Amino acid sequence: MMRDSRIAIKIDNVTKYYGALQALNQVSFQVQRGDFFAFLGPNGAGKTTTINVLTGLSNFQSGSIEVFGFDNRSDYLQARRLIGLCAQEFNFDPFLTVEQMLIYQAGYFGIPSDSAFDRCNELLKRFELINKRNVRHRALSGGMKKRLLLCRGLIHDPEILILDEPTAGCDLELKFMIWEYLTQLNQEGKTIFLTTHYMEEAEKLCRTIGILHQGRIERFGEKTQVLRDQSLEDVFLDATKQKEFSDV
Amino acid sequence: MFSNPTGVLTLSKREIVRFLTVATQTIFPPLISSVLFLFIFGVAIGSRIDFGSTGWTYLKFIVPGLMTMHAISSSYENTSSSLFIGRWHNHIQEVLLSPLSYFEMVLGLLTGGVVRGLLVSSGVFVVSLFFTVSSIAHPWLLFFFLFTISVIFACAGMLAALWAEDFNMLTLWNTYVIVPLVLLGGVFHPVEMLPIVLQQITKYNPMFYLVSGVRYSVTGVAEASLLISMGVAVSLALGMFYFTVFLFKIGYKLRT
Repeated sequence: MMRDSRIAIKIDNVTKYYGALQALNQVSFQVQRGDFFAFLGPNGAGKTTTINVLTGLSNFQSGSIEVFGFDNRSDYLQARRLIGLCAQEFNFDPFLTVEQMLIYQAGYFGIPSDSAFDRCNELLKRFELINKRNVRHRALSGGMKKRLLLCRGLIHDPEILILDEPTAGCDLELKFMIWEYLTQLNQEGKTIFLTTHYMEEAEKLCRTIGILHQGRIERFGEKTQVLRDQSLEDVFLDATKQKEFSDV
Repeated sequence: MFSNPTGVLTLSKREIVRFLTVATQTIFPPLISSVLFLFIFGVAIGSRIDFGSTGWTYLKFIVPGLMTMHAISSSYENTSSSLFIGRWHNHIQEVLLSPLSYFEMVLGLLTGGVVRGLLVSSGVFVVSLFFTVSSIAHPWLLFFFLFTISVIFACAGMLAALWAEDFNMLTLWNTYVIVPLVLLGGVFHPVEMLPIVLQQITKYNPMFYLVSGVRYSVTGVAEASLLISMGVAVSLALGMFYFTVFLFKIGYKLRT
């Protein structure tokens, strides 16, 4: 089903408006298959909007987006099969238990119930949620909800995992657990697209970095190329015109 | 047409399980209100209403009307609440991110409404047997009408859920449009009992044809042409379904 393509994500000249507000201004970049990509930017830069247009949760006015060669508008069914999203907000069905939520999510992706149960058990064990399988999400702590978001994004074993600030608000133990798992997934060949405000996280995990500011790509390239002996924090502040703050 | 049958079945199952797990809120209330309607209007007041030479009793007359009314309200409430809560909590994204076509998304979501509409209207018929001896004159035709009515109003519920910005707006359509049209469509009264002018106006009310279709299916006697009733039911069901699919496709209030 998947086209033979080295490019996992190709975003080409994408412009997106919310009414009169331009959220994305001719954004273009590519993420290679198997890459670990950090997508950085200050609040309101357009990171989540980029994720939304990529996953089909938002419309965009011009440009094109391909996922492994599948246009995400004309071939949206194929494109969506390849993507798993771990959203920033806890958007769970309040009436479903943890297990029901994951089993249904697997079903939407066409996974038969036997395989869905196996995959669900595997993820719940991996993320230490197996004892919470029969509770609703309101009974979970913030960290557990983060892990549940990850489980949901991974339930169909996607080729590309998109994570919108997955470690925000997590304690150190959970942060390390997530880092370890993402590294393992990436070593298995999965493409990871990560947005974060933690520079050390991006610097530690990623091979490619893109910095978005006011809807425009300001920096993009391999980590070594982008950093050039500077710290990521300095590069980020420079790219986002916040250099003066670093001197404070 | 079906690229992801497992996905559609999963979404349908979720919608059906959702209302069955809260049957005390979704199935039993319309049955209890039907018992009250049958007792008050059918037994207490209806025995004094004379249908002349038609051979009907008022009790037998209102049973198909009640079945229609509850098929409408149940299918509407199911999809409107489910989709609106999905938008409100944003877990509709689970469906929007999945490889389901827009046709399949709408089909999966409306299944719960249709099953609930059929279940509740069947339940109304069963409870009516405690008040009057009834048989169903045309069972397959009854299924056809209750099915198409449930499709129409399950879609109407989704349209309301897409349009509404808060819970109050969700009930506006039901209060100001659907309930008046249904009640004026002949649920509780034969249209010929109305003044001539109102009889003419009623003929522009599509609910009149739906109620008449169900009434014919149960009793074998119709107030409107059966063919017109079937035509209205099929046209509205297809029109509402494809309009809902269209709104999903353009992402109306679903995609930013």
